[in-house]
Amino acid sequence: MMAREHRERSSYRKYFPPKRKYCRFCERNIKDIDYKNVEILKRYVPERGKIAPRRVTGTCSFHQRKLSTAIKRARLLALLPYIED
Amino acid sequence: MRQYETAFLITPKLEEEETEKLIEKMAEVVKKKKGKMVNIEKWGKRRLAYPIEKLDEAVYVFFHYEGDPDIPHELQRRFRQTETVLRYLTLKKDAQIQPRKKTKTSRKEKTKRAEERVMKAAETEKKREEPPEKPPETPPEVKEPELEKLATEKE
Repeated sequence: MMAREHRERSSYRKYFPPKRKYCRFCERNIKDIDYKNVEILKRYVPERGKIAPRRVTGTCSFHQRKLSTAIKRARLLALLPYIED
Repeated sequence: MRQYETAFLITPKLEEEETEKLIEKMAEVVKKKKGKMVNIEKWGKRRLAYPIEKLDEAVYVFFHYEGDPDIPHELQRRFRQTETVLRYLTLKKDAQIQPRKKTKTSRKEKTKRAEERVMKAAETEKKREEPPEKPPETPPEVKEPELEKLATEKE
């Protein structure tokens, strides 16, 4: 029971291992996140298609905002799923 | 003049020629309204992340163009009328917001600053505590001789 609970809680951790976190968009000096760039967006919607929180990915607030709008646009055009199970 | 980007999905049920015709039709709208088509992106058939109108695939087309705001308006009106267009999305491309630049402060500096803040806070507290103590001390010294004077006068 305990083990399973722990695994569920740290599900996002599989995709973002606990190193020193940093904003991957700031690193590459990106100003706009394109909704067409599905490969990048996919990394931020693991498993259920939910947007990964900032505390897990380490994305800065500026890019998290851009990222979330980009993901939502991609969802509208069926590039990304709204829900996935 | 503004830069726009319009994306739309076409049903895979149409023949290739028909889809090409539809795309041309829409591109003509931009031309007629004196817009400037910068680029047409065609992704072709692509799997949808979720079914739309019970379809698993769709043809993705992206228009990049410049022009007046009535162009996207007209395009959207046409999209709504044509049933073969499943989805559309129009975006303004300009109006970029610059990210705020971080002033990089190293960890050592941060700890230094924090220490300084603590020291200052401690000093101010000391000052606050000290002044109230001093004034009561001095006046009694002055008062005492007065009292003595009063005492002598009474005698």
